[in-house]
Amino acid sequence: MDETLAEFFRRTILKIPMTEMMTILKTWNFLSENQLQTVNFRQRKESIVQDLVLLCEENHASLNDAAHLDIIYTQFHRHQKIWDVFQMSKAPGDDIDLFDMEQFKSSFKKILQRALKNVTVSFRDAEENSVWIRIAWGTQYKKPNQYKPAYVVYYSQTPYAFTSSSRLKSNLPLLGQALTVASKHHQIVKMDLRSRYLDSLKAIVFKQYNQSFETHNCTTSLQEGSLGLDINMDSRIIHENKVEKERVQRVTQEIFGDYPQPRLEFAQYKLETKFKSDLNGGILAEREEPLRCLVKFSSPHLLEALKSLAPAGIADAPLSPLLTCIPNKGKNYFKIRDK
Amino acid sequence: MELANTLRQDGESRGGVLAHLERLETQVSKSHKKLEEPQNAQALEARIHELKRLRDKLRAEVKQRQARVKASTANVEPDQILEISEQEILERKQENMKAILQAYRFTGISGKLTSRGVSVCISTAFEGNLLDSYFVDLVMEKPLWIHHHSVPVFIPLEEISAKYLQTNTRHFLFVLWEYLNAYSGRKYQADRLQSDFAAFLVGPLQRNSLCNLLSFTYKVKPEGQSFPFCARLLYKDLTTTLPTDVTVTSQGTEALPSTWEEQRAAHENLFFTKPLHQVFTSFAKKGEKLDMSLVS
Repeated sequence: MDETLAEFFRRTILKIPMTEMMTILKTWNFLSENQLQTVNFRQRKESIVQDLVLLCEENHASLNDAAHLDIIYTQFHRHQKIWDVFQMSKAPGDDIDLFDMEQFKSSFKKILQRALKNVTVSFRDAEENSVWIRIAWGTQYKKPNQYKPAYVVYYSQTPYAFTSSSRLKSNLPLLGQALTVASKHHQIVKMDLRSRYLDSLKAIVFKQYNQSFETHNCTTSLQEGSLGLDINMDSRIIHENKVEKERVQRVTQEIFGDYPQPRLEFAQYKLETKFKSDLNGGILAEREEPLRCLVKFSSPHLLEALKSLAPAGIADAPLSPLLTCIPNKGKNYFKIRDK
Repeated sequence: MELANTLRQDGESRGGVLAHLERLETQVSKSHKKLEEPQNAQALEARIHELKRLRDKLRAEVKQRQARVKASTANVEPDQILEISEQEILERKQENMKAILQAYRFTGISGKLTSRGVSVCISTAFEGNLLDSYFVDLVMEKPLWIHHHSVPVFIPLEEISAKYLQTNTRHFLFVLWEYLNAYSGRKYQADRLQSDFAAFLVGPLQRNSLCNLLSFTYKVKPEGQSFPFCARLLYKDLTTTLPTDVTVTSQGTEALPSTWEEQRAAHENLFFTKPLHQVFTSFAKKGEKLDMSLVS
């Protein structure tokens, strides 16, 4: 096996935590059960990896096999990447989408290979008729860099594609073009939506996050929804501000619903607005040019945090629509200008 | 306090004395408080006892009154029997209505009033099998809008609602039902093929989200020598469960048996006219017939 390829195998397998090693190798399904049994998994990790690389050489593993292993690793560790969302649109009057996965893959690969002589494109089918695409970029004169690949996740017959933000931004237009043409769309636009949590991004753009519907058989009363205010608790205790607390709960539930919120880490607001002040005068007031400032909210789970603001008494209910519209509009980057 | 500080410059002993006196003073006031507290506590305890006694007395009175009311109503027996049977009738009617409402789901489109409008439930079925249900929450405002829904993203909901939602809501629901029902039916056929007839397939079944393009290689007999056929089914009409285009071809460049062209045409016709899994059921049956003839 080529030395660079062996090194790529070594580094890719070394990345895998020992707790996941067997699962990932079995998912990869390139080394047989018998072969895996010959490896002593109690040695030091470096030795285990060496043994595994030797087995790969025995099986005449190719770059494609290594790329598959890389895709599987990334699927298990999708939170390590930051994902952007692109939206495609069709021209009006386009035919019905008869999506053929094989045609899509071959078309996508051809477009990239025609433009860049050196590029590695690999595919792995995934659940719900989706495909994970791994692209290692090269140039006309340089071989593809296998250590900085870009990933694209595409669900067939949908207008959305999810890409891991690659540092090599110059290839983005080409990637967009390949996606658009291969999936028979007309235009592609980058959405103002970004997060580590691919599944949450999917839930937001596919509008799958609010799936609680009143079925015809259930009769949940509104009383059951009143959280925390257990009226039956002790009649000797009087809840102050009970009316207000109930109002806040109700408003919060109307806006955020009962379902678990999709997971985002931040929301960013770029303000270009004139400074408004209640006090007369001041240095910043009465300026013609708008004030430029950036407000960023960060949290391990932004939407759950926003949902808990009003019940915790930190903010008034209802919250500003700029905060509550995030999943609905599919945006967590905003530009706000004076109208 | 400040006095103590100014005196400190004079001599530590004096500051020390004042501080000591202050400490003694606080000790005395603390011990006074401690003497008072038990008295307060005792007073409170007595009050608690008094209130508890009053509460128990009132509870006993309430129980007595309830017993009296029950006793008085027990005397009114004959009327009660009539009331019970009326109540039973009403309950039965209510159960009946509930059952009818539940059964409405089987018509495909059923709805339920919500605080803001209507929650429509679209139930899909194929060949008598009840399949997935989808929900659309409509808000009754001008203009009508969809609050949230469980329609899959690849169904052209935006297109359909742009065309019909405002002008003809009933038609909007019907068209949406058509799309969802057909999608469910196609999906059912593809799932059946993959699960029940996997032995007939050579390689994986290629499909897409809408299940409107299916591509697979199959054999007429699961084992043994049987020539493989490649089938490609296109469903260009998203409201139907049968394909609009069917092509059956040969896989490679091997020599084709003489009956091949006949079989090919026959298979194409089958795929056009019968649901996918039924085609394979008929292949299985033919195979059984042949086996039976061999046995006998």
